[in-house]
Amino acid sequence: MSTRVDPQPITEDRPTVQIGRSIPRLESLEKVTGETEYIHHLRLPHMLYGKIFRSSVAHGRILKLDTRAARELPGVAAVITGADVCALIPEPYYGPAFHDQPVLAIDKVRYVGEPVAVALSEDPHLAEHAANLIEAEYEELPAVFDEVEAAAATDTFVHDALKPAGTFPDLKHLQGRTKTNVALDFSLRHNDAERGFEQADYIFEHVFRTPAAIHAAMEPIVAVGEPRGSSAVTIHTSSQSPSFVRTEVARLLGWPENHVRVRTAFLGGGFGAKLYIKLEALVAVLALLVKRPVKIALTMEEQFYTITKHATTVRMKSGVTKAGKVVARRCEAWWNGGAYADIGPRVTQKSGFTAAGPYDIENVSLDSYAVYTNLPPAGAFRGFGIPQLVWAYESHTDIIARELELDPLEFRRANILRNGRPQATGTIMRDTATVEVLDTLERAMDWKAPRDPGDGNVRRGRGVAIGFKACIAPTTSVAIVNIYGDGSCAVYCGTVDMGQGSDTAMAQIAAEVLGLDPRAISVIHPDTDVTPYDMATLGSRSTFHMGNAVRLAALDAREKLFIMAGKALGCDPGLLSAAGGCVRAPDGRQLSVGEVIKSGFLMQAGNLIGSGSFRPTYTSPSHGDGQSSDITPFWMVGAVGADVEVDMETGHVRVTRLVSVADVGTVINPAIVTRQLNGGAVMQLGLTMSEALRFDHGQVTNASLADYKIPGILDVPAEIFAEAAPGCQHSGPFGAKGAGETGTFAVSPAIANAIHDATGVRIYDLPLTPEVVYRALRAAQHNPLENEL
Amino acid sequence: MTPFELQEPDTLAEAITLLDPDDPAVRPLAGATALMLMMKAGLFQPTRLVSLRRLDDGLRHIFIDERGELHLGALATLSDIERSALVAEHAPAVTQACHTLSNVRVRNVATLGGHLAHGDPHMDLPPLLLALGARARAVGPHGERWIDAADLFVGYYQTSLERDELLSEIVIPSPEPDTHATYVKFTALSADDWPAVGVAAAARHRDGVIVDAKLAVSAATERPTRLPAVEAALRGATVCADTIESAAEAAARSVEPLADLRGSSAYKREMIRVHVRRALVTVTRS
Amino acid sequence: MSALRQIAFTLNGRAVTADVAPHHTLVEVLQEQFALYGARESCAQGLCGCCTAIVDGRAVSGCLYLAAFADGADVVTIEGLADRNHLDPVQEAFISCNAFQCGFCTSGFILMTRQLLEQNPDPTDDEIRHYLSGNLCRCGTYPDIINAVHAAAATLHKE
Ligand SMILES: Cc1cc2nc3c(=O)[nH]c(=O)nc-3n(C[C@H](O)[C@H](O)[C@H](O)COP(=O)(O)OP(=O)(O)OC[C@H]3O[C@@H](n4cnc5c(N)ncnc54)[C@H](O)[C@@H]3O)c2cc1C
Ligand code: FES
Ligand code: FES
Repeated sequence: MSTRVDPQPITEDRPTVQIGRSIPRLESLEKVTGETEYIHHLRLPHMLYGKIFRSSVAHGRILKLDTRAARELPGVAAVITGADVCALIPEPYYGPAFHDQPVLAIDKVRYVGEPVAVALSEDPHLAEHAANLIEAEYEELPAVFDEVEAAAATDTFVHDALKPAGTFPDLKHLQGRTKTNVALDFSLRHNDAERGFEQADYIFEHVFRTPAAIHAAMEPIVAVGEPRGSSAVTIHTSSQSPSFVRTEVARLLGWPENHVRVRTAFLGGGFGAKLYIKLEALVAVLALLVKRPVKIALTMEEQFYTITKHATTVRMKSGVTKAGKVVARRCEAWWNGGAYADIGPRVTQKSGFTAAGPYDIENVSLDSYAVYTNLPPAGAFRGFGIPQLVWAYESHTDIIARELELDPLEFRRANILRNGRPQATGTIMRDTATVEVLDTLERAMDWKAPRDPGDGNVRRGRGVAIGFKACIAPTTSVAIVNIYGDGSCAVYCGTVDMGQGSDTAMAQIAAEVLGLDPRAISVIHPDTDVTPYDMATLGSRSTFHMGNAVRLAALDAREKLFIMAGKALGCDPGLLSAAGGCVRAPDGRQLSVGEVIKSGFLMQAGNLIGSGSFRPTYTSPSHGDGQSSDITPFWMVGAVGADVEVDMETGHVRVTRLVSVADVGTVINPAIVTRQLNGGAVMQLGLTMSEALRFDHGQVTNASLADYKIPGILDVPAEIFAEAAPGCQHSGPFGAKGAGETGTFAVSPAIANAIHDATGVRIYDLPLTPEVVYRALRAAQHNPLENEL
Repeated sequence: MTPFELQEPDTLAEAITLLDPDDPAVRPLAGATALMLMMKAGLFQPTRLVSLRRLDDGLRHIFIDERGELHLGALATLSDIERSALVAEHAPAVTQACHTLSNVRVRNVATLGGHLAHGDPHMDLPPLLLALGARARAVGPHGERWIDAADLFVGYYQTSLERDELLSEIVIPSPEPDTHATYVKFTALSADDWPAVGVAAAARHRDGVIVDAKLAVSAATERPTRLPAVEAALRGATVCADTIESAAEAAARSVEPLADLRGSSAYKREMIRVHVRRALVTVTRS
Repeated sequence: MSALRQIAFTLNGRAVTADVAPHHTLVEVLQEQFALYGARESCAQGLCGCCTAIVDGRAVSGCLYLAAFADGADVVTIEGLADRNHLDPVQEAFISCNAFQCGFCTSGFILMTRQLLEQNPDPTDDEIRHYLSGNLCRCGTYPDIINAVHAAAATLHKE
C-alpha cells in the first residue's frame, strides 16, 4: 500500500466525465421507501434502554442522590450514578479541547439539564418512570449566564481550574489556570488598528448579539453501547466523528484504540450537534457496567439540554475614509460556551480570526473569548461561529454604507479582499471567488432593478450580505478504494453521510478516476474497525479532505489495476486508460475491470486495494498576534440577497425572496450542492426569524419544537434559489471545496439589512421576531412600547 | 408515558359511569392528541382513560335542524368539520379557521369535544364559537344541560364541565341574514405555530349602521373572552374607520394579556388592537 | 407493567395481531413488533410528521396515536406504498426532484403528499404548503418538495 501526504494538485489533462453531474443520491431508493438505516432504529438482543435523570439547578453541589425508589421499581435493571462511573474510570472527564465534562455529574452540577444518573430497563417507559423517581438534593451555588458578565466575573466560576486536552499544543499554557471563566482568549493584531482609526474620517462602533439556539436534527442524538467481553466495546452512534469517539473513549478506558469499535449509519441530520462525544462515553460505560447492550435515544426535548449554538456578543468598530475605504477594524467577540467547553475554544479561534470580514483592511485588531457559563454546553453549529460573526460585521458594514450614502453592494465590492492580498492573519488569499460571488449575486438578484418600496402598512426592502470562512486545519483524512474479484468496487471512508450527499460525491470522485459508473460503487459507512481514520465530518472539510484522499486512493488502486492489466494485455501500464468500466490499451483492445482481476488472480478472487491519505499544510497562528502564513487550506465565500415585506403594524416580516451565491470551487454534483446551499439558507432563516433558546435562571423554557419554532414549509420564501459562482480550488479534488455551511453565512444580516432598507430601522440582536421588529419601529417613532421583552 | 388502564365503553351512559367525579387521574379520551402531549410531558399521569371512540351513537354528526341550527357532534373530527359542505355554507369562518388549526394529521383525529373540553386558551375555535353565539350540550350522571360557549371556559385550562360530564354536541345558531364572521390567527414565531393572539368577530350591518356585533379574543388571554362592552359600543354605530379604531382601542384596553414565549403583555395588547381592527374591517365590508 | 391486550388489524394489506399496552403508541408498535422503521419518532408532539402512518385512509401522527386505537383498523405505512421495483409516482417524483437530503422526514412527506393528491389532484403551491405545514424538514428541502408534489401530480394525471 502506498500512501501519500500531498497537498499539491495532481493535474488531470482529460475532461471529466463524472464531475459536475447531478446523479441522484446513491441511497435514493432506501430514502423514499423508508428503509434507510439510522442508528435511531437499532435494537440489539438483551438491550436495555437508558433514561437520563438531569440536574434541576444551574450550579450546585450534589448533597444527596436518592436512587432507591428507582432501583426498587420492578423491571429496572440498574441505576447508574457518577460514583459508579468513577469505579470504572477514575477520571471520567472528556472533551475535544478541554477534559472538563464528566460522563455523569460528579460532586457538582453546572447547568440545568446536566446528566446526573441513568435508569436502565428493557422497557423504555419503565426506564423513564424510574428516572422520574430519582431525587437529588443540591446546595445551590451562584451561577453566571451572560457571556460578557461571566468573562469579567471575579467571584463566580463554573470550573475550579482549566483542564486543556493534551492534544492541542496551543492550549498548553492554559493548564491549571484558576479563577476565570475564560477558557480561551485569542487575539490577532494586523498592523496597527489604533493608528488606522486616527487616519480615518469616520468611526463607527456597534454591538451585536445572537442567542443560543439548537440544531434540532430530525433524528435526535442516539447511541448504543455493546460490550464485547470486558475489554472491548462497540459503540453504534449517530456520530459525525467516529474516529474521535474511538480515540476519546479508548483514552477514558485506558485501552488501546483497537479495543473500541465505533460505527455509524446514515444520520438524520447532524449540523454539528453530533460531533465529538455526546452520548458515546456514557453508553460505553453503562454497557460495560451492566454487561448488556444499552441504548440511549434522546428525545427532541433532551437535545436542548445537550448541545447548543453559542450565544455571542460582538463589538465592532471601524475607521472609514471619506473615499469609502475601511482602513481599520477592531472586533471583540464573546462566545457563550455554556458549562463545558466542547469545541467552543476552537470556534473562538478558528472563526475568530475572520471576524473582520472578507475585506481588505489595512489595520485589524481582534479579540475573541470562549467563556464558560452555567448554561447547556455550546459547540459546533453549521457555520462554526461564522454566522454569528457575519451577523455582526455585515450589519455593521451595511450601517456604514448606508450612513455614507454608498450603494451597499458597491461599498462591499470596493473593500473586498481579493486573491493575492493578505487576510488579517497575513495568509495570502488564493483561489477564493469573493469578487465573483458579489458579481454573481448582483446579477442573480438584479440588484439595480427598481423596487417597489410599498406604502403605509406594508413596506418592502432589499438587502445583501457576504461572509467567508476558513476551513479548519490541520486535519487528516484517509481512504481506501477496494476493487473486488468481480470488478465491483467500494470506497471505505470515515465521512458520515448526514444528508449532505457525501456518499454520492465520494463515489463520483472514485468513479472519475477509475472510469466506473458512480452508481455501481458502494460507499462503506464509517466503522472504525473497517474504515480508516478521518478527523470528522464537520466544517465543510469532507469534499476537500476526504475527496482528495479518495482520489488518491483511487489513483493508487488504478495504478495497481493498470499493472495487472498491462500484463494481461501485454502493454505498458503507463499507456493504459480507464473508462466505461474497462481498461483500454492505446490500440483499442480492452478488458473489463472484472476480467483484469480474474487475469491476475486466475479466478474471481482477491482484491486490489488502493489507499490515500491527505493532510494539507498548515502554520499555526503565532501566540499574541495571531499571524500565520498558511492558516487554512481554502476559504469559502457565501453571499445572500433578500427581499422582505414588513407589516408596519405588527412587525411581522415576510421574506419574499432569498438568493444564495457561493464559491464552492468546482461543483461535483450540482443538484446536491444547491440543496446544501438552499438548505443552509432555510436553516439560517429560522435562526434569523424565530429561533432562540429562552432561559429562566438557566432553565430552558422552550425545550420543544412546539415552542422553539424551526421553519416550516409556509415560512419558506416564494422565491428561493442558490447559485455557485465560477471558481476553482486548485488544491481540491478536481477543483472542488466544501459547501455544507456556506449557505448559512450571510442570511441573517441580508434580511436585517433588507428590513432597514424597508423601514429605516436597524436591529442589533437576533432573532428578528415580530415583537423585536415592532419595538424597533416604535422606538424609531419616539414612542417606545412599555415593558421589556 | 406511564401505564394506565384504558376503557372503551359502547354507550355514553356507560362512559359516564366509568368517569369519576372526584379523581383527576381519570379522564375521558377522544382523539387523544391534547392528552397525549400532556402525558408524554409527564404533566398528566392518568390511572384510567375512558375512550369515547367506540360509542354506539357515534356523536360524529354534522347536520342542520329545522330551525337552521348547525349541530356538530362532539366526536366529529376537526377534519370532518373542515371538509363539511354544511359547515362551509352555514359557518364559513369555522371552515376557514380549521385550515390553519394545527395540521392535517392532528385534525384527522382531534375531535371538537376534545378541542373545547381541554380548556386551552390557545385553541383556535373557542373564540369563534363565542362570536357565533354557540352553545354546548353536556351529559352527566344526572342528565344533560346546555352551556353557553361563553360560560364553558372559566379559566386557564379550566372549563365548567364536571369531571363526570361529557360534551355531546355543539350547536351554532342560525345566523341572522347578512352576518359576517371571521377569525384572525396571528402567529409570532413560525407560520404554522399556535396563535399568539386570536380574534374572532361577527357582525351585521344595515345601511351603514352596525346592527349587531360579537367579538372574542383568545390565546393572549387566560381564557377565550367575549368583549360585551365593546360589542355594545359597536351596536348602532356607523361603519367607519373611527368606529372601528375606537372599538379596537377599547378591546385592547379591556383585557390583560399574558406574557409568554410568543410575546410580552404590551406587545400582545397592541396585536389585539391591530387584529380586532382588521377583523372588524373584514366583517363590516359590504 | 400494565396488562397487554391483543389487537388485530390490517397492516399494509396483511392481517396481523399485536400485544399492546394502553400506553404504547402506534409508532413504537410498528417498530418494536413489525420491524417497520419508515415511521419514526422525532418531535414526539405531532408537529414534524416523521411518524406518519395512514389509518383507515387518513394520515395520523404515530407518536400521538395510541396503538390500541389501531384495533380493527387498516394501517398503511411507507413500506406498504410500493415495492422496490415499482415505486409509487410520488416516490419517483421525490427522487427526480431531489426532494430529500438526510431522508429522516421523507417517508412522512411522501405519505402526506399521497393523501394530498388523493384529495386534491392538482394542488396550487399555496395548497401544498398548507397541507404539508405539519411536516418539518430540518435539511430545508421544502422548495424541492413543492416541486416533487407538482411532478407527482403531473404523472398521476397522465396515468
Ligand atoms: C402538533 C399540534 C399542534 C396543534 N396546534 C393547534 C393550533 O394551532 N390551534 C389549535 O386550536 N389547536 C392546536 N392543537 C390542539 C388540538 O386542537 C387539540 O389537541 C385537539 O383539538 C384536541 O382534541 P382531541 O379529540 O384529540 O382531545 P383529547 O386529547 O382526546 O382530549 C382533550 C381533553 O378533552 C377531554 N375530552 C375529550 N373529549 C371530551 C368530551 N366529549 N367531553 C368532555 N371532555 C372531553 C379530555 O379528557 C381531555 O381533557 C394542536 C395540537 C397538536 C398535537
Ligand atoms: S414524531 Fe410524530 S409528528 Fe413528530
Ligand atoms: S431531509 Fe433531512 S429532515 Fe428532511
